[in-house]
Amino acid sequence: MGWVLASTIIIPLLGSAVIALIPEAGSRFARTLALIFSALTFGASTVLWVQFGRGVPGMQFELIAEWVPALGTSIHLGVDGISMPMVFLTGLLSLLAVIASGSIKHRVKRYFALLLLLEASLMGVFVSLDLILFYVFWEVVLIPMFFLISVWGGPNRQYASVKFFVYTMAGSLAMLGGFIALFLHSGTFDLAVLATIAPSIGPALQTGIFLAIAFGLAIKVPMFPFHTWLPDAHVEAPTAVSVLLAGVLLKMGSYGFVRFGPQMLPSGFLAIAPVIAVLAVISIIYGAAVALKQSDLKKLVAYSSVSHMGYVMLGIAAGTSTGLTGANVQMFSHGLIAGMAFLLVGCFYERAHTREISAFGGTVKIAPVLSGALVLMAFASLGLPGGSGFIGEFMILVGSFESFPVPTILAAAAVALTAGYLLWMLRRVVFGPLNPKRKTMPDMTHTEATSIFPLAAAVVVIGVLPSTLVGVIQASAVQIAALLGR
Amino acid sequence: MTGLYLKILSPEIIVALTGALILIADLFDPAASGRKTAAGSTAGEADGAAGRTDGSADGNARPAPRSALAWLGVAGLAVAAVAVALLHKYADSYSSVRICFGSRLGPCPLNATFLDGALVLDEFAVYLKYVFLAVGALALLLSVNALPRFTRHTAEYYALVIWCTAGNMLLASAGELFTAFLALQLSSLPLIVLIAFAKRDPRSTEAAMKYLLLVLVATAVMLYGITLIYGSLGTSTIAEIGNMLAEKAASHEPLSAALTIGFLMFLAGFAFKATAFPFHWWAPDVYSGAPSPVTAFLSVGSKFAGFALVMRIAAAAFFASHASADWSLIFGILAAASMIFGNLGAIKQTNIKRMLAYSGIAQAGYLLVGIAAASTGGTSATLFYIVAYGLANLLAFSVVIALINTRKSAEISDYAGMSRHSPLAAFCLTVALLSLGGLPMMAGFMAKFYVFLSAAESGLIWLVVIGVINSVIAIYYYLQVVWQIYVAEGSDSQVCVGRPDAVAMALCAVGVFAIGLFPEPALRAAERAALALFSWW
Repeated sequence: MGWVLASTIIIPLLGSAVIALIPEAGSRFARTLALIFSALTFGASTVLWVQFGRGVPGMQFELIAEWVPALGTSIHLGVDGISMPMVFLTGLLSLLAVIASGSIKHRVKRYFALLLLLEASLMGVFVSLDLILFYVFWEVVLIPMFFLISVWGGPNRQYASVKFFVYTMAGSLAMLGGFIALFLHSGTFDLAVLATIAPSIGPALQTGIFLAIAFGLAIKVPMFPFHTWLPDAHVEAPTAVSVLLAGVLLKMGSYGFVRFGPQMLPSGFLAIAPVIAVLAVISIIYGAAVALKQSDLKKLVAYSSVSHMGYVMLGIAAGTSTGLTGANVQMFSHGLIAGMAFLLVGCFYERAHTREISAFGGTVKIAPVLSGALVLMAFASLGLPGGSGFIGEFMILVGSFESFPVPTILAAAAVALTAGYLLWMLRRVVFGPLNPKRKTMPDMTHTEATSIFPLAAAVVVIGVLPSTLVGVIQASAVQIAALLGR
Repeated sequence: MTGLYLKILSPEIIVALTGALILIADLFDPAASGRKTAAGSTAGEADGAAGRTDGSADGNARPAPRSALAWLGVAGLAVAAVAVALLHKYADSYSSVRICFGSRLGPCPLNATFLDGALVLDEFAVYLKYVFLAVGALALLLSVNALPRFTRHTAEYYALVIWCTAGNMLLASAGELFTAFLALQLSSLPLIVLIAFAKRDPRSTEAAMKYLLLVLVATAVMLYGITLIYGSLGTSTIAEIGNMLAEKAASHEPLSAALTIGFLMFLAGFAFKATAFPFHWWAPDVYSGAPSPVTAFLSVGSKFAGFALVMRIAAAAFFASHASADWSLIFGILAAASMIFGNLGAIKQTNIKRMLAYSGIAQAGYLLVGIAAASTGGTSATLFYIVAYGLANLLAFSVVIALINTRKSAEISDYAGMSRHSPLAAFCLTVALLSLGGLPMMAGFMAKFYVFLSAAESGLIWLVVIGVINSVIAIYYYLQVVWQIYVAEGSDSQVCVGRPDAVAMALCAVGVFAIGLFPEPALRAAERAALALFSWW
């Protein structure tokens, strides 16, 4: 099964190379090819999801191969309950992103080659069990992302893409510094070995190393005050890229917190956890408050991501098994909901060529399916029971209360703000009097439905049958919480 | 035992003879006289100076003999590489074979003086000889299509590049300070002529003048330093100097002021060649004034010669003394200052040759980080970085030269829209810049990672922090060029890449990826080379 895991990286990488190498005349096949390769990858991640041993806390489907012994680094792949949902999410969202990229008309070949390269590197981040291999994939993500935003992005794309690149690179180099420090005190880059050696490093040093790593991760999440690149990048990025950015890229950061904090540097993690909790609550409230005053639909969703990732970080900082499980459910759920939100914003933009909220109004009267999907997304996002958002947020709040009571109460209160900006947005976009400019707005097309409905269905399935997801995560989360003594 | 010297020196001799052979071949070239008059009408144009007619004509109807001479040079360098490979067994059988001008092959006696131990053949020398041969060959290939723009003296140009390569190779073997000085001159003097090769372009002459003055000052200071060292210790053999410093360390005898000043002055010569702080100021002017293929050669060959010069003495002498921590600090400061000055200077450049000059200063800083680590790992990291940087920088220059050949322009804004009309060249330049910026998959990442790792192992955390911050600054200006290539709208005229350029480009691009993805063999070679330098440990 190790090779099935490796194939989630190899298939999209191969697809990327194939698409890049077909002659320019074959550009019209690029999307079909991308569809085939991303569907195969999704198939592989589904096989893994089905075969994944529920109730097994450790790594599964492991694969080890020699790479650069001179630098003490090897190719070591594997998934546990924390990374398995992320692999599945990456497979799903990449496939939907390819489906949703029909509006890309120029330099099609390069676009899909980069999209598949992005998928391969994202998969690599989640399945790597070697720090340097992880770092390589982590950095490679930047390259396709930079080009996807800067070539196919909006008018202010130069600023946004360079800011994204330089910002995250600054963070990741700090992280690399942390990795090097870990290596110097343990002699290995292998996560499995590090998990046995690194926790015995002195607490002060652990805190220092974890601070360096956390800096890189916090920029990616992004946590307040390192979030400013996100709204810029989102606003300029094309729809499908936004889907992967919010759906998967941000999870790289929170995934790293779970992977490197409790498992490798527990003392350092516990020392910084209160700071993370406070920043998480600030992110929740700040993100929601700023979302409230946005007039641009996409910016609103972008800031809502900052707010929702705050919940994830609160659950991780709490370090209890319920909190960690909740955080991972929320990561998966936010991937679905944010993906859906950006796809819907894309639909609205295609129709009106603007994302100003004031340009819409009463769309439910002329485009009921599209508007209905937006309503469903908003309700799931604000944590209404029956949607996946509720399961995640509820578990996070329950799980973090014992660790951080005050921040948890504030975070729970902030749900009102979330409801506020989402319902207000719905009132202005979907309900109310029909905006005269939108008289001829067509409803959802079949292609759009193909990309949006799977997400809506997944949101509801997890909301109604949370055990489908929790069962995968729980064993690993319990084990990690035990490492922290919680 | 003269035969043995000839044997040990055979690669350099083959290289030097190749240069002469090219000159002779040019005399017997039946097309030579006709070609020279024909090319004479368009000669004398320098980068950005005139219209682009001959550049495109050159792409279509390239007279065969001109590239034939370059290929002859490449073949000569390849033969020299085979000679190095055959000699490699000496480096294998003895960790360090020194040739004494006295009489024998084998370790020199402890009282060896003056010319004894002048040449050393070890893994370090072999490694760098391969590097210099490769750099020389690539520089020849990159020159073929650029030469008609500024000169008709093709054969002389190739010969000078090759002789400069011979000097670089000799420098890698120099185990004695005066030999090193001699080799340094052999490596520097041809460059003065090469920089001035576009003789009708005042900027080329100006650059050569600057280089000439600075090379004289730097080497004079260095020579004075060498005499101070020789005067203080009574030997100029690096191994001997190392032994004496180690003895002084054992008896806690402090270094005399004259000796310390001598070493510092010696470093001046190095810093000049390597474009490291504080002798880096000449680089932007000379790089932008010199003909582009010469700039490409200068930015790798000459820089590495500086490192060849300093690494042996640093490993064998500086770090053997009890002042090892101080030397490490000095190299650390040079590294930090080079990185900072280089990167800050590069940000606001609009000319790509100037940008690459500043970026080269910063890269010299990263190379110095490995030396500052004062360990086998650090030296090995620097040696590995040399290969990674050389490949990426030559790849970048191969595209820069192709664009200058086509459009006579080195402005960054002229790269706008390049991905549309010349996708392969655009891809190569992007790969080169991202590799220089240290992104994974490319060689640059592994090199930077290794350098930082070894510096951290030696406890130079502050230097790693400065290096990391500088990498972020660097990626900013590299991205500006990438942005021009892929996003900005611009001219639609295709960049014509001649066959030799394409060969060089392909070799470098494959190398950048090969070393970035599978660095193990190159890492091991660098490690062996570094171990040879530190064999006294």
